[in-house]
Amino acid sequence: MISKLAAAALAVAGSAGGPIPPAVAKITVVATTPDLGSIAREIGGDAIDVKTLAKPTEDPHFVDAKPSHIVTLNRADMLIEGGAELEIGWLPPLLESARNDKIAPGTPGLVVASQGIRMLEVPATLDRSRGDVHALGNPHFLVDPLDAKIVAAQIAAHLSEVQPQSAPLFKSNLAKFNTTVDAKMIEWQKELAPFRGAKVVTYHNDFVYLAERFGFQVEETLEPKPGIAPSAAHLAKVIEKMKAENAHVILVQPYQNRKTAETVARQTDGVVVDVSQQPGALKNTATYFDLMDTLVRTLAAAFAEKK
Amino acid sequence: MSAEFQVAWQVMKWPLAACLLLPPLLVYLGLHVVKREVIFVDLALAQVATLGTCVGLILGYPFSARVTFWISLFVTFLAAGLFSWSRASEKRQVPQEAIIGITFVVAAAGVILLLSRVAGGKEELEHLLTGELLNVTKAEVGQRTAIFAVLAAFYGALHKRFGLISSDPAKAFAEGLYVRLWDFLFYAAFALVVVSFVRLAGVLLTFAYLIVPAVCAVMLAERWMPRLAFGWGIAVTASLVGLWASYRLDLPTGAAIVCACGLLLVLVSVFVSLRREPRPVH
Repeated sequence: MISKLAAAALAVAGSAGGPIPPAVAKITVVATTPDLGSIAREIGGDAIDVKTLAKPTEDPHFVDAKPSHIVTLNRADMLIEGGAELEIGWLPPLLESARNDKIAPGTPGLVVASQGIRMLEVPATLDRSRGDVHALGNPHFLVDPLDAKIVAAQIAAHLSEVQPQSAPLFKSNLAKFNTTVDAKMIEWQKELAPFRGAKVVTYHNDFVYLAERFGFQVEETLEPKPGIAPSAAHLAKVIEKMKAENAHVILVQPYQNRKTAETVARQTDGVVVDVSQQPGALKNTATYFDLMDTLVRTLAAAFAEKK
Repeated sequence: MSAEFQVAWQVMKWPLAACLLLPPLLVYLGLHVVKREVIFVDLALAQVATLGTCVGLILGYPFSARVTFWISLFVTFLAAGLFSWSRASEKRQVPQEAIIGITFVVAAAGVILLLSRVAGGKEELEHLLTGELLNVTKAEVGQRTAIFAVLAAFYGALHKRFGLISSDPAKAFAEGLYVRLWDFLFYAAFALVVVSFVRLAGVLLTFAYLIVPAVCAVMLAERWMPRLAFGWGIAVTASLVGLWASYRLDLPTGAAIVCACGLLLVLVSVFVSLRREPRPVH
């Protein structure tokens, strides 16, 4: 009787057409930021459904709470957060309202990306007056492709724990991801090799990992301290330093104040370069790899222009 | 009960509780403020309360710390003192509205100055304006409700006196009341209400709850009690519409309720003017 029913069910499923339906439900994965979401998509493939909380053009430090965020978190099987206090200003109250045990700390349903990353700029002493200083180091690490590999491996491990049946898929996707990063790294290194030691200025201190990986230097930030709006006196200092150090490239993300950067650029024969760390913020940057391609290409072009 | 509804309930229940339990007192105070024709007193007090919060932030205390609350309350009491003092008896050189307006502008500029030295000040500024109603907790709602209940009893017990001072200050003076002292008590309790509420709901929503239901009520009725009833009805309707729209259309909660208030005011005005229309013209 049971086997008859099963056969009938199979026949119905089969007659629905297409390939055999998936034996297991898709894992609902929520990523706090689009870059994490994009990497999750590379690893999870069709076995997961990715939702992102922050918009690509939104500052990941400050995301406006909306009801849908709580609903999304409530229904999640897994949460991927950047960690290192990146989302400390907005995620905790949302999680409290969402009350979802599946993504509680210590469960396989929670991935904290910063775990396993060699963090830069971990402060020796913590002083509140130093602004939005992150006790756990600078949290903008995903623009270093080798850090992206570490995060990808962590996501694969957690996904395999949440859904062991699909572990082989995650493993092969991870291998594919790593191969692509390795191949791309050679390209990216080559593109930026001529500009070793070049100097940039950034708005927030959000490109140190990229600079370290590809051998250029973040000379100054327009913010006097992380998270604090640029003051006139500080900008004067930045302008002086840019002139002295021959730095001409200013990197600005979509949610940062471009006008400030333009004012500084006017006085330093500089160029303001629109960049983003989030896939989807700029044109043709749907995936993490597109994003990195665009980032490296834009940067190389700006360095070449101001050489 | 559908699963969909359960999720919505879980997300919105505490914001809903805050929007039903707290505004009644605000509506009552709003009626006083409309009577006194010092509409911008609420906005000014809310802004001063925010300024106090920013003083706390710049001293390194977190937003939710108790110290921040006390600093905010203290600064707001100062403003309350200023407002009751500036309401001079008969001979008034400078209109009180001017003092109120100046207080608002200086407090707003002060907030900008202080926040320029606080990490993420720009975003904090927006949060202080629109509030974070969506993230209110059970504890916050409970605490506020307790404070509001005590203050409601205070205003209820002294309603006759406050009502007279609001509607007929000249008579109050003539009757030998210490108008300035009573005014200070009135504004001090008002300050406590505003400081408690503005930290949950932001400056904009506080102002909207104080003024919009009161203005609608004044258009719809003549006496205190019916006005209070209409005001509560309007506040509840605006809350429900705003919260519903916030959930359905995924909009920021506080701003959605403020806009619902504005929409209701338009509807009530249209209704009132239509009702008056048929009167014969002499």
